Amino acid sequence: MLDLITRPLRHAVIGGTLIFSIGAGTAQAAEELRLYNWGDYINPEVLTRFTAETGIKVGLDTYGSNEEMLAKLQAGATGYDIVFPSVHMHDTMAALNLLEKTDINQSPAFKNIDPAYLRAKSDPKGEYCMPYAWGTVGIFYNKSKVSKPIETWTDFFNEARAGKKVAMLDDMREVLAVGLISNGKSVNTTSADDLKVAQDWLLERKPLISAFSYEVVPMVQSGDVVAAQYFVGALMYVKQDPANLTYVIPKEGATMYQEDMCVLKTAPNKANAKRFMEFFLRPEIASLNTIQQTNGTPNGEALKLLPAELKDNPAANPPAEVKAKLQIFNDLGKDLKKYDRAWTRVRTAN
Amino acid sequence: MSGLTLQGRNRLRLFGLLSPVTLLIGGFFVAPLLIMAAYSLAEPGMYGGVEWNFYPDSFGRVLGWADGSNEEFDIVYLEIILRSFRIALLTVLVSLLVCYPVAFWVSRLDARKRNFFLFLITLPFFASLIVRLYAWVLILRPSGFLNQFLHHLGINAELDLIYSETAVLIGLVYIFIPFMFLPIYASVEKLDRRLIEASQDLGASRWQTFRKVILPLTMPGVAAGSIIVFIPSLGNFIVPSLLGGAKVLMIGSLVEQQFLAARNWPFGAALAMLLMASVLVFLLLYVRSLSRAEALEGRP
Repeated sequence: MLDLITRPLRHAVIGGTLIFSIGAGTAQAAEELRLYNWGDYINPEVLTRFTAETGIKVGLDTYGSNEEMLAKLQAGATGYDIVFPSVHMHDTMAALNLLEKTDINQSPAFKNIDPAYLRAKSDPKGEYCMPYAWGTVGIFYNKSKVSKPIETWTDFFNEARAGKKVAMLDDMREVLAVGLISNGKSVNTTSADDLKVAQDWLLERKPLISAFSYEVVPMVQSGDVVAAQYFVGALMYVKQDPANLTYVIPKEGATMYQEDMCVLKTAPNKANAKRFMEFFLRPEIASLNTIQQTNGTPNGEALKLLPAELKDNPAANPPAEVKAKLQIFNDLGKDLKKYDRAWTRVRTAN
Repeated sequence: MSGLTLQGRNRLRLFGLLSPVTLLIGGFFVAPLLIMAAYSLAEPGMYGGVEWNFYPDSFGRVLGWADGSNEEFDIVYLEIILRSFRIALLTVLVSLLVCYPVAFWVSRLDARKRNFFLFLITLPFFASLIVRLYAWVLILRPSGFLNQFLHHLGINAELDLIYSETAVLIGLVYIFIPFMFLPIYASVEKLDRRLIEASQDLGASRWQTFRKVILPLTMPGVAAGSIIVFIPSLGNFIVPSLLGGAKVLMIGSLVEQQFLAARNWPFGAALAMLLMASVLVFLLLYVRSLSRAEALEGRP
């Protein structure tokens, strides 16, 4: 999922805390807010502005996957106010009774949120969490190194057949999803037959895949890897080198991810957390974040404020017919085991 | 105190001396191990964690048996374990071949140079492992420094090493070489040169001297180094992930996968237990061979 940017950082930043604060002038009663977010998944400028306006000091800890965050909370980590689970993890956390009811949907600015993004089944009205950001997982490639523009997964593997290097994510569900989507199956299938089809499809292409990795950005930039499965945040790098790099959503369809902003039951600063959510509902703040993250926003008013290069970019804000082909992961419970063996098979094969 | 006999006082002192170690090993080694053993026999929880029902299937799954519905017999996990052993053994072998001669060379340097060299060996520990491995990515990739360097020398061999088993091996050897070098160096430095001279005086060929005198005397260092390198190479997961492109899957990566993406803690614990058990077998073999060697030499 969106491990992607965060993974490289995860190793380096594990447990690292960044404290954003403005001056020491207003440092009386230490008003605080502690965020627990994916690495590199919020614009630091947003936090700086929040502190400047409210005097509340913001602490930020990061994680590399939903599971890591959940495991840490289950192991008794406290002190965090806001977390950013993916939709299926939002449901899981609701089932585990970890989330605080915020009534954020009662805030006047909540009307900015497109109701289509209230995806969590456990929270259809947004009484607990609010949609934070979304994006797709597609193909990031180096235009100057491929024989023709890549539009589909077939094109992607054809480059590999021509002797170029291609990489996929080191992510069980994302890789199997490509096999499932290419064969017209749901990415949430629990049918062993569907998974077998996806597994065989991937095994056939396994010799063509150079690596399963999150750290492919420098390799694609240098052209050592010509194309890689990556997420829409790649547009950040495309912007630096638009002549050579690009990101596409494959024609077959793709997966999408969405994270929600949730307050924990154990949050020590619930009032500040709600204040931050309301702050983030403002279109100018949400768009500030989206522009830096180069992903999608559920905030309709913020969308209008985006620069054309992002707003009208079909890779970042795909048209309706492409959007209809995007699939989002559900939590699979115990059926996840079937994915594990298929994935291990795919990774091990030569 | 005056009421205690000498024996009683000794016993008390022994108790006082041993209890910190016992607590340390009990608290930080035995207890976690027992927790892991318990987890490996519990049922996987829906969202990670475990449900406390007896569930021995995780061990069967390692060997290939299907766990639950819709799985087939498949020895994929066993294959990964075997591959990990092969790569770990290769790592030991290569680092041994590098370190052994170098240790001799270093032991002959004068004291200042020697200390400087030892400092150099430990220098990499000052930088984060991740950073150093990223450096290897930059070296090994096709447009990387290695090929540029070869190009400068006029060799146009487009070496394609990144994301291969060779790259994993290079990475592991690179990381663990200090652990091989230091024990070997310690035993080489202790080596009494007069024994070598004596052996040559008595007409032994170079090979015989090496085989019958030098090697046995430095064997403790070799064995210690091999074990210290073998064990962490076997469980390493960061090198296969960064340099192997996660294609060269080793058991460490598999354990990580079970605790995070697959949310199957008992299976991860079972894998880790088996890993530890096999390491234990190696250690026992080592201890036995040592004591047999001592018995042969007629030492107590």
